[in-house]
Amino acid sequence: MIETIKINKYFGPDKILSDVSLKINSGEIVGFLGRNAAGKTTLMRIITTYLYPSSGRAIVNGFDTVKEPLNVKKSIGYLPETPPLYANMTVFDYLKFAAQMKGVPLNRRKIEVDKVIWECDIRDVKGKTIATLSKGFKQRVGIAQALLNSPKLIVLDEPTSGLDPLQVLHIRELIQKLKHQMTIILSTHILSEIEQIANRVVIIKKGAIVFDNPIDVVRQNGNSLEKLFLDLHEEEAA
Amino acid sequence: MIKAFYIAKKELGNLFKTPMAYIILFIALSVFNFFFFLIIEENREATLRDVFLVMQFMLITFIPVLTMRTFAEEKQTGTMEFMLTCPIREWEIVLGKFLGNTAFYTIMVLLTSIYYLILKIFSSPDAAQILLGYFAIFLQGTMFIAIGTMISSWTKNQVVAAIITYLVLFVLYFSQAFIKYVGGWMKDAVSAISAINRIEAMISGVVVLSDLVYYLSMALFCLLVTRIIIEKKI
Repeated sequence: MIETIKINKYFGPDKILSDVSLKINSGEIVGFLGRNAAGKTTLMRIITTYLYPSSGRAIVNGFDTVKEPLNVKKSIGYLPETPPLYANMTVFDYLKFAAQMKGVPLNRRKIEVDKVIWECDIRDVKGKTIATLSKGFKQRVGIAQALLNSPKLIVLDEPTSGLDPLQVLHIRELIQKLKHQMTIILSTHILSEIEQIANRVVIIKKGAIVFDNPIDVVRQNGNSLEKLFLDLHEEEAA
Repeated sequence: MIKAFYIAKKELGNLFKTPMAYIILFIALSVFNFFFFLIIEENREATLRDVFLVMQFMLITFIPVLTMRTFAEEKQTGTMEFMLTCPIREWEIVLGKFLGNTAFYTIMVLLTSIYYLILKIFSSPDAAQILLGYFAIFLQGTMFIAIGTMISSWTKNQVVAAIITYLVLFVLYFSQAFIKYVGGWMKDAVSAISAINRIEAMISGVVVLSDLVYYLSMALFCLLVTRIIIEKKI
């Protein structure tokens, strides 16, 4: 479903991603884990076509992200690290606009918007201006726009960043609900989040994949993700 | 193509949800009204020729304020990432943004059409000439909007976008003044890009093909550059 083949990415002289090869099958929930500036967001941006790789290829749902970006975009939903919201629009108007942008047919638009409003539990705020919402609700609205048009793949970049514990819980529950419907890629700094949500973990260190295994493999022999992560970043932690 | 209209509608709607739209309209129309009455009082002629010249000059100030947020705001708030990961072509985004600003500008210009009605009450103005004058102001404004839209795509900072747009429009407007200091091809180049004289023929009731080509090609060039800039994903 998603395949990245020897992806390298440079920003000027800086190498951000180094020979990243990865295969993600339909229905998987993959957690990208890594320190700040490890390359998680860059990899996600390449998968979503926001960035082009400097070399290598990314195939998403059978389409090349450079050669057929429109087809890729039609099949994905993406929540960037900062929810992409228009502060002075109401939640409903924003989602209607997002549905228009995603090409949801006119006769299905309202149904589709109502569906994501229901799924993300934002019924009570659908008439409110986005600027007046709490961070947790803004994040839900961000996820709601990503879910429009029932994408096969949803990419969530730090969906719980900056939220209070209760809001984190709500977002996690929401992602749990989605996991049976689509492939999910999410990035986070929170190790327990990956353990709870993902069924596969990919650890990225300085632009390279240093660990890629099902979460069960991590748990074998009584290990924890925290220990594994610290072992992999031993020299930096010292 | 329909997505460009959705974007334009969103742009126009969002503009009117901020005080900026009302401030621009209030100040622009106040200035235009002031000069309209001043010029009519002074000239005692049933023509809007001098009013159009004032409007043309004032556009240098109003257009940068209108266009500064076009892309800079989207980049600043992160919504550009949303737009560029939706199944939309880059040119549809650029066109939508441009049409949204142009729609606002059209409203602003249309509100001044009352000047014609005032002239009509007291005299017999040449309707065709005035209509052509409005067309010229419209063309000039849309060209300035295309320039502002392009510059807004260069930066995340709205103030920087406004200042650069202001400087570029200022140079375009006053470049004719520097013509005596340059020679050869530079003289031809400065003359070719100068905006100040382009409008004169049309507001006097004469359509010059080269002026039309100038406005349209400049606007198209700026929109193409904008498309290339937002498409750049290196």
